[in-house]
Amino acid sequence: MTEPVVQVTGLSKRFATGADAVTVLAELSFALPAGASLALTGRSGSGKSTLLNLLCGLEAPEAGRLQVFGEAFAAGDDGVAGDASARWARLRRRAIGVVFQDANLMPALTLLENVRLRATLAGQPTAPAADWLARLGLAELANRYPDQVSGGQRQRAALAMVFAMNPGLILADEPTGSLDHHTADDVADSLFSLQQHSGCGLILATHDPALAARCQYRLDLGHDRPELAATSALPSAAAPP
Amino acid sequence: MTLFAALFSHYRRHPLQLLALALMIVLATTLWTGVHHLTDRARVSLAESERAVAGQQQLVRDDGQPVTVQDFANLRRAGLCVMPWLEVRRPPPAGRVIGVDPFAATCFGDQAPGQAGSDALNGEPFLDIGEAAQLSTNGGEGVLSLLVPQTVDPAQLPPGYQLRGFSLGPATGELGESFLLNLDALGVLVLLITALLVRSVYQLGLVQRRESFALLTRFGVPGGRVWGWLLAEMAALTALCVLPGLWLGRWLAALLGGGFGAALENLFDTPLYAVGAGGVAVPALVMGAVVLAACFADRRLLRYLPAARYVGTWPAALVGLVVGLLLVRFATVLGWLFAGIALVFVAVGVLTPRALAGMAQWRARAGEGLGKWRRRELAVVFRRLALPVVALQFAVAMVLAVQALVSTFENTFEVWLGQRLEAEFYVEVPAFVAVADGVHYLDGLAGLGDWHLVQRGRAQLESAGGTPALPQVDLFAISPVGPLVTGWTLLVAAPDAWSRLAAGEGVMVNEQLARRQGYEPGDTITFRLDGRARTLPVLGVYADYGRPAGEILTAGQVLPAAFQPRFVSFSINPGALAMDDVRQGLAAAWGTEALTARDNQSIQTLASGVFDQTFLLTRAITVLTLVLAGASLLIMGWVFFTTRVWYYRLLSVWGLTRREAANQLRWLAVALTGCVALVALPLGVWLTWVLVARINPLAFGWSLPMAVYPGFWLEMLGWCLLIGVVISLLMGRQLRGLTPAPAMANVAAGGER
Ligand SMILES: Nc1ncnc2c1ncn2[C@@H]1O[C@H](COP(=O)(O)OP(=O)(O)O)[C@@H](O)[C@H]1O
Ligand SMILES: [Mg+2]
Repeated sequence: MTEPVVQVTGLSKRFATGADAVTVLAELSFALPAGASLALTGRSGSGKSTLLNLLCGLEAPEAGRLQVFGEAFAAGDDGVAGDASARWARLRRRAIGVVFQDANLMPALTLLENVRLRATLAGQPTAPAADWLARLGLAELANRYPDQVSGGQRQRAALAMVFAMNPGLILADEPTGSLDHHTADDVADSLFSLQQHSGCGLILATHDPALAARCQYRLDLGHDRPELAATSALPSAAAPP
Repeated sequence: MTLFAALFSHYRRHPLQLLALALMIVLATTLWTGVHHLTDRARVSLAESERAVAGQQQLVRDDGQPVTVQDFANLRRAGLCVMPWLEVRRPPPAGRVIGVDPFAATCFGDQAPGQAGSDALNGEPFLDIGEAAQLSTNGGEGVLSLLVPQTVDPAQLPPGYQLRGFSLGPATGELGESFLLNLDALGVLVLLITALLVRSVYQLGLVQRRESFALLTRFGVPGGRVWGWLLAEMAALTALCVLPGLWLGRWLAALLGGGFGAALENLFDTPLYAVGAGGVAVPALVMGAVVLAACFADRRLLRYLPAARYVGTWPAALVGLVVGLLLVRFATVLGWLFAGIALVFVAVGVLTPRALAGMAQWRARAGEGLGKWRRRELAVVFRRLALPVVALQFAVAMVLAVQALVSTFENTFEVWLGQRLEAEFYVEVPAFVAVADGVHYLDGLAGLGDWHLVQRGRAQLESAGGTPALPQVDLFAISPVGPLVTGWTLLVAAPDAWSRLAAGEGVMVNEQLARRQGYEPGDTITFRLDGRARTLPVLGVYADYGRPAGEILTAGQVLPAAFQPRFVSFSINPGALAMDDVRQGLAAAWGTEALTARDNQSIQTLASGVFDQTFLLTRAITVLTLVLAGASLLIMGWVFFTTRVWYYRLLSVWGLTRREAANQLRWLAVALTGCVALVALPLGVWLTWVLVARINPLAFGWSLPMAVYPGFWLEMLGWCLLIGVVISLLMGRQLRGLTPAPAMANVAAGGER
């Protein structure tokens, strides 16, 4: 077994809103093998987005430890400031591709320029940006601006961006959430096929059971004590580490 | 819920926007009222001074003694219309008052001096002559003059008296008029800038309210009614805000204008009337109209435009710009000139955001990575913040022009006064004495500095053909032609012009005359003196800002022996001697007592005092305009940035540290204001040129030298960059929250570009 790409131990997150505080995640622990795909499920407000933010350092945990690509972070070393924040920024810049439900593109840049910019930031200035767009069926639209293409096309361009940076891990927050069924399937097909091809890890937040079923693992944050579970998509049905 | 409540609910949710709008109207009104009030006051004062100075004659005694009350009584008894005018100088701060006799003034009809306003005689500093006499015996220094109407025939004068022009001081009225015109131009510009600012803030609110307008339309409310309610809402707000603005503006004017008025009074040597409260209605209505017009000029605002770009047809604007520039360059009538200026400003306002955005786009082509992104964002900002950008541009241009103008005025005026006043002292030669005695006395005086004799009179211009259709001009003869004039710098002349002038081989003409008759150095001029025509080359053209009249400068020896000067004086530098001794010596040579030496230094000091005040005033107003424009850019930028902040967070998601993301923002804001400063520079220089080289010659017949102040340009650039830094620091606050969630609806649609 290879080293897990993400290891989470005793992770807790609370939000203080005025007087009362909401505990979103409590004592969460799991590990994701390299190259594996994981679906975060649970009703709205169960903490899927929060967990994704914690996993790329956009939020800081209350308690617990995180290890991403062997880089260790702990609660209290202040994930948003100081040294930890710089280490997170480096990780996000080169290794972690993040895809949101929408608004993943810079509006003043064409699709192609967006892909180029993201790849350049990731240290891949020579990445074949146009090829990535072509592989996602956007060859014709490469020189359009985001507001000149449809929502599905924008999401596919976002995927092209992420794959062009050659990431080790993709974090996708409801990447098909704003799309119609048909388009959503298209985008999901692209996502999974490219992920398998590149061999990077994928953590995907969704409340769509069909989409979740296409991942190898699943973590239901709606549960009191969420645990990593293999799905039927995992071919060897290996037990989670 | 009523329609009004529905519409107004927007401001309940965004009270800051309402506050910003209200504040903008108040400040705009303040600014404009301030300028307007000052201009008005200066105008009235100047009109008064002109009326007081111009068109009056006085009687003086043949024996050179000052006139007395006894003279007044004698003349009245002889049936002459005379009015006593008692000027009492009191030690500061009380200042000068003038006593007049309203009953004696009745025979003047509507030409009566000191009758300007209905209550002019009741108000300070015009007093009843009895009171003034009282003051003069109580330590004040009183000088009595006897004024007569213009219609008096010299032949009817009783023996022992003669007519003299009556003037309260150096006739610098035109320079004042020119100031007024420039203040007027400033006022119009301020109005334009404030209109832009109010419009930009209002538009900002409307953009956010369009969704609810669309909703109301879907509910079946006709667009016209929404429009009507918006108009009513804005009218109410304007009515509420204009009054405090007016009050503040007057307060500002009083604050700045006190010193200004006093300085003007000193320069023109004539009392300024305190203009009463003045009408509130006119400024209020003007401001209200401007605000409403700025906000509701086109109904396009109301329509829902998802990516409302800056609208304005640039080909038309380009044509407008060219036509405007040509008009300004070639107009021969002031009206066309102003139309040209307006056209240029409108065109520049339309073109600037487009040009800047286009430039940023063009620069983005070459860039890679983040550099490209920044330039594209800059282009978006230029388009989306077009109005405040243009307002800032105009404000900076105005500041540049006004600074250059006032500096130019100040420098030129000082040099010109020095030139005009020639020497440190000036002694008027009484009418009954022999000038030659004075010349003889001064010639023999050891240790005396430079001096010359000035004789003034009139000459008739003649065209070369001999047709006497040309005007009369002033003649200004000096002898000897020496160091007092040969150092003149406001002069276009050949190097040997002074020696040739001294030898009587030619004349010089003032700029007014040169412009009017098209004389240049090297041309010849023909004029008739005492019936004798003479043709001489024009050796030089000198600046003469004070008055409209054309003038010929000659050496005294050119004058025919029979020439009757209207006015004779000596300009004297006392050198090693005390001026008082020189004056007494002259008086003794002529056997007279009433001889005064005017100290030119004090006039120069007064003049620079005026400019110091004007500097202060214009600086305060321009700084205020700049602050206002900066604040509006900040407000607009803040709201616009709420739709943009997500993309800076996206940069963080893509692995930029917070500092790196904030630096992008800083670059953007500083580039924005820096570019505005750069495009404001040519506009400002052009505006300066228009003011000194086009408006002045058209309005007054003389131009000021055009000076540029690159040091000040750098200062302005610095200020603009500072505004950019402040904006980026404040915007940076929006970056602090870390929740990465695209908030705005338009972000989901791909975002604006
Ligand atoms: N910045 C925040 N401040 C306060 N509460 C927050 C914040 N972000 C998320 N929450 C709360 O945390 C909970 C989980 O939110 P989220 O992770 O977005 O859920 P999901 O993505 O599963 O819908 C919700 O109750 C939400 O209200
Ligand atoms: Mg979520």
